[in-house]
Amino acid sequence: MEQFAPVKRSKDGQAVRYLIVDDSVFARKNLARMIESFGGQVAAEAGDGLTAISEFDRTHPDIVLMDITMPQMEGIEAAERIVQQHPEARIVMVSSVGYQENIVAALQRGARHFVQKPVKPEVLYEVIKYVLGEDGAVANAAGAGA
Amino acid sequence: MTNSPDERGAELRDLFYETSQELLQALNDEALKLEKRPGDEEIVRSVRRTVHTLKGDSAACGLRELSELAHQFEDALSMEGAAAHAAVADIAFAAADLFSEMIAAYRKGHKLPSTKKLSKRIEELTSTPAAKKSRKKKSASLNKHAADWTEYEKLAMLQAQANGQDVLHVAVKIDPHCAMPIAGRQLIQNAVASMGPVLAVRPDAKSAAASKHVEFVLASVQTPQQIIAKCKIPTIAEEVTVDLLYQATSAGAQAVPDLTSDSKEPEAGKEPGISSAAPQSESQFAASTLENILRVEASRIDSVLNLVGELIIGKSMLQQALNDFAKRYPKDLLRGKFADAMAFQARVLNDLQRSVMKIRMVPVDQLFRRFPRMVRDVARQCGREVDLALSGQETDLDKGILDAIAEPLTHLVRNAVSHGIESPEERRKLGKSPHGTVRLNAYHQGNQVVVEVSDDGRGIDVQKIRSKAIELGLMTAEDAAQLTETETLNLIFRPGFSTAEQVTEVSGRGVGMDVVQSVLQRLKASVSLETRPGQGTTFRLKLPLTLAIIKALLFWVEQRLYAIPLNAVLEIARTVETEVHQVDNYEVLQLRNQVLPVLRLGRPAGEPGRSSKLFVLVITVGERKYGLIVDALEGEEELVIKALDDHTFSTDLVSGASILGDGRVVLILNLSAVVEHVAHLRPQEMGRAGSGLLLTHTDRTRLALTPPVGGQA
Repeated sequence: MEQFAPVKRSKDGQAVRYLIVDDSVFARKNLARMIESFGGQVAAEAGDGLTAISEFDRTHPDIVLMDITMPQMEGIEAAERIVQQHPEARIVMVSSVGYQENIVAALQRGARHFVQKPVKPEVLYEVIKYVLGEDGAVANAAGAGA
Repeated sequence: MTNSPDERGAELRDLFYETSQELLQALNDEALKLEKRPGDEEIVRSVRRTVHTLKGDSAACGLRELSELAHQFEDALSMEGAAAHAAVADIAFAAADLFSEMIAAYRKGHKLPSTKKLSKRIEELTSTPAAKKSRKKKSASLNKHAADWTEYEKLAMLQAQANGQDVLHVAVKIDPHCAMPIAGRQLIQNAVASMGPVLAVRPDAKSAAASKHVEFVLASVQTPQQIIAKCKIPTIAEEVTVDLLYQATSAGAQAVPDLTSDSKEPEAGKEPGISSAAPQSESQFAASTLENILRVEASRIDSVLNLVGELIIGKSMLQQALNDFAKRYPKDLLRGKFADAMAFQARVLNDLQRSVMKIRMVPVDQLFRRFPRMVRDVARQCGREVDLALSGQETDLDKGILDAIAEPLTHLVRNAVSHGIESPEERRKLGKSPHGTVRLNAYHQGNQVVVEVSDDGRGIDVQKIRSKAIELGLMTAEDAAQLTETETLNLIFRPGFSTAEQVTEVSGRGVGMDVVQSVLQRLKASVSLETRPGQGTTFRLKLPLTLAIIKALLFWVEQRLYAIPLNAVLEIARTVETEVHQVDNYEVLQLRNQVLPVLRLGRPAGEPGRSSKLFVLVITVGERKYGLIVDALEGEEELVIKALDDHTFSTDLVSGASILGDGRVVLILNLSAVVEHVAHLRPQEMGRAGSGLLLTHTDRTRLALTPPVGGQA
């Protein structure tokens, strides 16, 4: 796998913490691998929208990667509810090409960004850097977050 | 990650092959539901969701053909009107089958099955051909200030200017490679809006140009550089230009408008407070819950279980040594210490055994969930209308047992649908609902798990079985008349009975029942059935919780040591030879107020016994009680069952062997086979009073029953 310069939280130099929401175990593992290659840490995983909300409340992750189509509660609604409770939440929608309208809806309801499935690590990396903005810092190889 | 891309790909693919099975199962389930409620949009949506996930996952693994087919199906499902199409369920079934074939082909590296047929059916699903592949790659030129602002927008601009904000024109060219330009556009709009109030947007989101570029009029106090930085979104915005339209009138930007601060404040203010409130310990906790599911090969668990079994043998060796020690030095203080240590070790061992067993347990649902699809298919084939009701799916069962009963259970369910349930017309005539019901149920009962297959069909005609048995020469009319109803029903498990083809039409339950029986016997499980004419039949499988370790009662017969599962023993009693009576060639024993058929493993009655006092084990097999006469009792012990190789040991009277702590070998009797054996002998051979089963049986069996190692001389 491609190596990425680790992205850390700029305020404390700790790993960026993620909540991965997808009903496919496979997709979650895939994202988790990518995140780890960015120097991030998976704070929690959820397989549906309801769990996503409770996991968000429990772990307060820096970034949420949210699938759109899920059982129980779809990603858009989950994103909307999380943002209502936590306006600072950074939610990145993850979905396929066919779901453009849903993504637009999610973005209108407070999602910060989106990536397209199948997720390319280099794209996700850029998106995450962008979404973190000033709160994220790319550690150079020498003095990473120590 | 140090893995090479190839390795990683292979790993991912393996994961996909596993997870995809669940998706396919879900697809089957949804198709079944859809068949019941055609056109239900909610179900169609969930079909689409499943197909969608399958598409995404397979694409990530580079399984192009599968992903494309899934994509096509998903697209078709999202078409308007497709959901109402009657063929959706059928296509979903076909898709589930084809997907599964394709995955199997990928897995084995075989040639992929053709997708053309299904693809065509999917196309038919959508009356209007999906011709939306007109994605032009031509980049649009940005036409600055081209838009005409409406009166309202102009007014808003002036107002913003008066409020101390610059009015800026932001033009963004959307990356032509962006696959979701409209979503990208929304994202850009969000970014722009975070800099200040957006006063106007061009072009309209619905216009054709919307996917190429977007322009905003923004009121903001931010510098153009800041705005560009914010809007230059990787992979989405290719080019951002910002022009100042009107400079803020009141040069002092001290009065920062509320609107701007609104979107900025939460980020700067609240967030650090909240996310730093998550302490370090919590993130560690999160990490530990992260990987909470482990996929392990079953053979690894088996080897652990095997080792636990060896430990249990070791424990009884220690116990034996301790007993000897205690006899030799009854007053030694060390004895107590040993005993304490032993007790502790035994407890831990117990827990260890239970934990390992738990690992092997899986919910019965894993098996049950296959049936809805099967019942549907079988019911269709033979023109029945059948509902399948499942209950007790959460009951845990040893994975090995679950796998082993899959086949017999399938058989029972298939029979229930094709033979048990009557045709809809017949049912209507009988005043039943035309829909038959087949019920699968599982529950714990003591140290066993019971799995039931029942139907509300025609039941089994006991008389017909009887006459068939006579016709087949299995028994005389006289003998047949003496059989109880249960005994008669059990005839259908006889190999000779079940292979007779014509029985199928008569009893409806002939074929392959001996297969069911033999599998269950191998598992030390039993099957019984209950039937009521016109009301249905229930097959009840009683399964042990595990195959590896049993609690057993050890006893001596003819100076040989045997064991039987303790849960089959109801009581242990003493009696005298004179209490054993001969009734109709049957030996029976009167014990208090009950009369029990007698099973003898050893010397036949009548020969001079060393003592007229007897030990009787009252055992249950199936629904019946028997008195098993033994010479002496050894005790109760946990036995680790070692399978006996068919080549060295060929009798079904013994289900396994075990090694005791002192190295002796004990044979574990298969009670249902022993009882059946006696029942077989009964009509013809009982007259010879040859109830000494193990000794009067053929020489081959007798030889086989001599313990192979360490037997008593």
